[in-house]
Amino acid sequence: MQIAVSGGKGGTGKSTVAINLAIALREHYDLVLADLDVEAPNDHLLLGVELANEEPVEMFMPRFDYQKCTRCRKCAEVCEEHAIITMRDGTPFLMPNLCSGCGACEIVCPVRGAILPGKKLMGHTYFTETPYGFPLVTGRLLEGEERAMPIVTMAKKRARALEKELLMVDTAAGTSNTVSKALEDSGLIIAVTEPTPLGIHDGELILRLAKLMEVPAMVVVNRSDLGDVARVREIAEKYGAEVIAEIPYSESIIRSYVDGKPIVLTDYPEAGLFKEIASKVVEFLGGGE
Amino acid sequence: MQLAIASGKGGVGKSTVTASLLYLLKDEYRLIAVDADADAPNLDLLLGVERWEEERELIGAKVARINTESCVRCGICQERCPYDCIKVVDGDYVVSELTCEGCNVCGLVCPVPGTITLEEVRSGVVRKTTTRYGFPLISAQLDVGRPNSGKLVTEEKEWAKKLMGELGLEHMIVDSAAGIGCQVIASLGGADVAILVAEPTPASLSDVQRAYRVVQHFRQPAYLIINKADFNPGFTALREWAESEGIPILGEIPYDRAIPESMSMLKPFVEAFPDSKAADAMREIAERVREEILR
Repeated sequence: MQIAVSGGKGGTGKSTVAINLAIALREHYDLVLADLDVEAPNDHLLLGVELANEEPVEMFMPRFDYQKCTRCRKCAEVCEEHAIITMRDGTPFLMPNLCSGCGACEIVCPVRGAILPGKKLMGHTYFTETPYGFPLVTGRLLEGEERAMPIVTMAKKRARALEKELLMVDTAAGTSNTVSKALEDSGLIIAVTEPTPLGIHDGELILRLAKLMEVPAMVVVNRSDLGDVARVREIAEKYGAEVIAEIPYSESIIRSYVDGKPIVLTDYPEAGLFKEIASKVVEFLGGGE
Repeated sequence: MQLAIASGKGGVGKSTVTASLLYLLKDEYRLIAVDADADAPNLDLLLGVERWEEERELIGAKVARINTESCVRCGICQERCPYDCIKVVDGDYVVSELTCEGCNVCGLVCPVPGTITLEEVRSGVVRKTTTRYGFPLISAQLDVGRPNSGKLVTEEKEWAKKLMGELGLEHMIVDSAAGIGCQVIASLGGADVAILVAEPTPASLSDVQRAYRVVQHFRQPAYLIINKADFNPGFTALREWAESEGIPILGEIPYDRAIPESMSMLKPFVEAFPDSKAADAMREIAERVREEILR
């Protein structure tokens, strides 16, 4: 079983909802949280833990044997990322930052051994125990690398391999294919948005993506007193999504966020809001204890 | 000059700062704005844009399709897809269009010619308008689930450069996406100066440090604006980091409800609430941008 926390716009509170929801759901399910915002992963900071058990994400990268290369240019032609350029005589050169490691060049190369399998480090995945009874898997793209997809794919694989009852993913902002990769196979998407025109615009995009993926969505309105919640409800309704919580702007949430102490474990009234989100999710998913 | 605004973390105020900076500089300089967050473009909303003068569809994203008639169900494509994008649905091998990177590995390894084809699809739109403040805005919108939004950003900047030549404009201000991937690299690439926006939280600090490493790849001078500067008293690590890296702090904007309220009014906050504390801070920042960056 898999659920996802997403939202379209950045900074709406995806990670805050993800970590607090994971803590609240821990009572019901044996779970793992996967931080798939690989360009800006922050769940560990909010959970107050340091990333551990680092594993490199290495992708294939072509190395050319210029003795064997016949200068046929097929590798450059097949590369959809345009990561291989050729000199006038056909000699290929790799621009490593553009290479996404797909291996198409090696497949088309007609000369055995002219393209050798090199390796390129694109980022890391981490497995971190948290004090809250569930582990965190994190993907982290290396600075300067362009393609987030391999890291999202590998981090998700690492989380899945744990074979927990529930995999909870926290996605990046936006709605590109790396976000859909994170969302893929979810039984429920929790879209966290804010009621400003910006949050509403981007929130609608994530609901559209959820619909295209045929995954049911629920909406959490964060900083609900800073805008037009009625408008969020209208959009949610249009996509058949229920607004399950409204979280007002809260100094206590900010405090807990910056201190790395999850609000759901405190006595602040806001803790109750996250518990309510959790019970809506349990109700939807069924099962659990 | 080309100025790019980035932050790593989303929602820390890139577009808010960009809109207000554009508003404060528009009378003195001939500007063009580029919203390079094609995943979640918002600058048009903050500048009150109601219509686009010109819209261009961008065909260029590619996705693989499997012809189930000729497919022999050998499963090699699924095995070789580097990003696990091929699933078996009711006995048929199917490429997930919303996650495909368009690398064509499946097509190359398929033993039955013509069964897997790489097809061009629309990746989104690039559009242009003249804002009510007189300067043009180029913006893009990626279709949901499409790859390569960096290409959209490159397309936007090329259009902007052309307009700069035609209209004799001086400065391009690029509002980049969250993160540090291809969209942000395309935004920072070619910029003369990077302005980083961060808030005093561990998450924002961690992300802006990552964005700064990308800026360093390009060897650009960088400046920092601290937003919601008073929202986490006692957190000094952000300022200390900027000082240790020698990144000048252009200014600090206090947390101010005027900012979310100005969003609902679809206006830059310096225009909507000129008497707010945040507007005072923003005017000082604009002054320093004039003196130290645009000169």
